[in-house]
Amino acid sequence: MTVAIALSAGLSALVLVLALMVPAISSPSVPFGVRVPAQHTHDRAVKRQIRVYRWRMVVSGIVAGGVGVALYGVTGVTLLLPVTVLVLVGAWYGCFFLANHEIRAVKAAEGWYEGLRQVVAVDTDLRTDPPRFPWLWLAPALIVTVATVVVGVISYPLMPETLAVHYTAAGTPNRLAAKSVGAAFSPVFVQIGVTALLVGIAAAIFLRSRPDIDPAHPASSARWHRRYMVLGAKALLGLAAMIDAGMLGSSLLMWTGTVTAWAPLVVVLPIMAAVVVAIVVLARNNRERDAGEADTGLTHRDDDKYWRGGMFYVNREDHALMVPRRYGLGWTLNFGNPVTAMLLAGVVALLGLVITLRFGG
Amino acid sequence: MILTVDLASEVPIYQQLRDRIVEAIADGVLTEGSSLPTTRALAADFGINFHTVNKAYDLLRQQGLIRLNRKTGAVVTATVADPPFRTEWTARARTLLAEAVARGLSADEILETCRSVLDSFDTTQPEDTP
Repeated sequence: MTVAIALSAGLSALVLVLALMVPAISSPSVPFGVRVPAQHTHDRAVKRQIRVYRWRMVVSGIVAGGVGVALYGVTGVTLLLPVTVLVLVGAWYGCFFLANHEIRAVKAAEGWYEGLRQVVAVDTDLRTDPPRFPWLWLAPALIVTVATVVVGVISYPLMPETLAVHYTAAGTPNRLAAKSVGAAFSPVFVQIGVTALLVGIAAAIFLRSRPDIDPAHPASSARWHRRYMVLGAKALLGLAAMIDAGMLGSSLLMWTGTVTAWAPLVVVLPIMAAVVVAIVVLARNNRERDAGEADTGLTHRDDDKYWRGGMFYVNREDHALMVPRRYGLGWTLNFGNPVTAMLLAGVVALLGLVITLRFGG
Repeated sequence: MILTVDLASEVPIYQQLRDRIVEAIADGVLTEGSSLPTTRALAADFGINFHTVNKAYDLLRQQGLIRLNRKTGAVVTATVADPPFRTEWTARARTLLAEAVARGLSADEILETCRSVLDSFDTTQPEDTP
């Protein structure tokens, strides 16, 4: 119970800190997901929106916390606590959208793009001499998975006859299964699935993403993008390793028949730690440093029309599967690409299958 | 190499691409044997149709600046200016210089601009003297 409260509070705090931090770590050329020309990056309207957004976010944090406490006080159900996190994420998007909307209005009213030469810049070296995929960073995930299999195979004869395959949030088993290879090795299947998924995303960043080069200082922009790609892939592979480690911990509990209140922590702590580290690393490198490159005088073209609701990239003419996020960390899918629709359909089908297998059987 | 294209310009995109690549060769950013991205990759990065990139590459191939190969893709080749090129280029230079004269630029100013543009190109290029 206390574990669930602590986890929800920790997650809410993480969301709030990230929300307050994002304006400071995003590229100044896209404040709140609005493309602005260089001479307006420090416009009064932009500065004002950052201030207003931060206040709104702090108030939302207090409200979400209050909702959490009230829900728990009235119902006493810990399962409702993640609702606070959802409320906070919803409020975050609301605050973002208001700021996005205001800046867009000022930009249109004052005609920030009038008379500017808008261009698209491309770094061909990214295709002719691409950065190397950090394959070595896949090793920890593979080693942990193989170790889990080896330990599982060796200890299989010693495992209890019934295995706990599902736990409540408090760590007590609520579903048991007769010992079988499928039940005993279910965490290994999760490990393989998660590793494959994260490697797939990292590979998509390398093979199917498009950089967003700033024509005003293209060389440093391109250099930063290469670095960020490699960092992103390393963060994903590191996350895979830590999720696999969490699954190794949970399989050890299952295989030895251990029941403790801190069982959820065995899974959640490594994953939370990895998520925090990945966020910190990406946040610290989320925008290019000023390398003193002379301004070319060119302006990035105004591409706001492809960003629906300020956040969702929909461009049918763009063949890229992933593009760098304008607001926040990492990359986002191009929802105008047919492959994205297929991927999303696949994810929905997979979730449906898992839910049917879990609750139908 | 950084390529920039103005999608709203009156100059066709394939022409802009071709011009930027020729300038990169003159600058020494691209040298003999440098490879260019595939048409599809370059088109995807610009968010333009790959036929447009094809057209630019084809133009460069006709002018002997690149070699297109199914296996190695587009590769920059060494080229020597032949007499027809000299004649055609002189005609184009004539138009360009005439524009400057017609707009009232002095001969000294024009020559100075020509010199500084030439100086900005990489001096190791063998074909930088017209």
